[in-house]
Amino acid sequence: MKTKPPLKICVVIPAFNEASVIGDTISSLINTFKDTPYSLEVVVVNDASKDKTSDIAKKHRITVIDHILNTGAGGATATGLSYAEQNNFDIAATMDADGQHAAEDIINGIHEIIKRNDDLLIGSRLINKEGMSRTKIIGNKGLSLITRALFGINSTDSQSGLRIFSRRALESLRWKTSGYEFCSEMLWRARQVNLRISEYPIKAIYTEYSKSKGQNNWNAVNIVKSLLKQRITELLG
Amino acid sequence: MSRYTLLLLLNLPFIVLSVIGAITSYKLKHSTKKRLVVQIFIWLVVLIGLASAEYIYNWLFQHQLTQTEPLSLFDVIQITAIVIVFYIANRSHTKIENLEKRIQDLHQELSIRLSGKNKS
Repeated sequence: MKTKPPLKICVVIPAFNEASVIGDTISSLINTFKDTPYSLEVVVVNDASKDKTSDIAKKHRITVIDHILNTGAGGATATGLSYAEQNNFDIAATMDADGQHAAEDIINGIHEIIKRNDDLLIGSRLINKEGMSRTKIIGNKGLSLITRALFGINSTDSQSGLRIFSRRALESLRWKTSGYEFCSEMLWRARQVNLRISEYPIKAIYTEYSKSKGQNNWNAVNIVKSLLKQRITELLG
Repeated sequence: MSRYTLLLLLNLPFIVLSVIGAITSYKLKHSTKKRLVVQIFIWLVVLIGLASAEYIYNWLFQHQLTQTEPLSLFDVIQITAIVIVFYIANRSHTKIENLEKRIQDLHQELSIRLSGKNKS
């Protein structure tokens, strides 16, 4: 009797100047996946970092895609997911390079997306807010509220970097923005192409490093500006 | 020839060119149906506005909603210039948007292919 081949999973890590943490993030991911039935490929998209992010990632014998130009988190994520689509992965996941996501949460997300038969699963840090500062909670809730007002999408954590994608999502999901605003735009585009979107709780691991690297609330102003521009452009055709 | 007719005749080529451009772009699948409808709607509003400028002015004047002088030759040139600037801005926006998308796709594809080459 033929055994079913293991599901091909691609974990995309967009990274910009993350040399000090990228090694640990990759090691933790590879070690956690060792005991799972999945066939894992880690893809680091180095978004034209000025430090040794690419060299350190390459030492782990994983796929490293070096961007020639710095495009932003949205552009790096799009490149990683395009790689996953071209190489026929069954499921893809994205996670932040700064170590704020636990590898176990990715495995949980893969189990969930298979169980629920969804297309896009968002790891929400706000279902269980433990470890999150009040400023981050306010910032993220504010952006989720704006995402709801502009695009009519109800998400508790529209800015989460941990997302799981089905094969169908890889084939049909495209977005235009290349900065952090892609997080909200992606949800909007997913709804436009009738993908099934849902959430599951994850824990956020905040270190001094990830706190300093993450988006600050002032960046939210730029995100809102860009989202408004997208919405108006779309309205005008 | 009245100044209102001159205004319409000067602007008509840009309106026709824009509408033809929008239809061509849609037929060549460079833009969506929604964009075509919006573009045609905008240029139709401009055309109707220019064609009924004399009627609108007379109506406003009769109802004492404006005290301005009737259309001067300078007004005709100024309005034509605004329509030309709008026409150029609209074309440039479409071109920049398409170019931006192509550069993004090129950069993405190039990065993936180069990473594949480096691996092998």
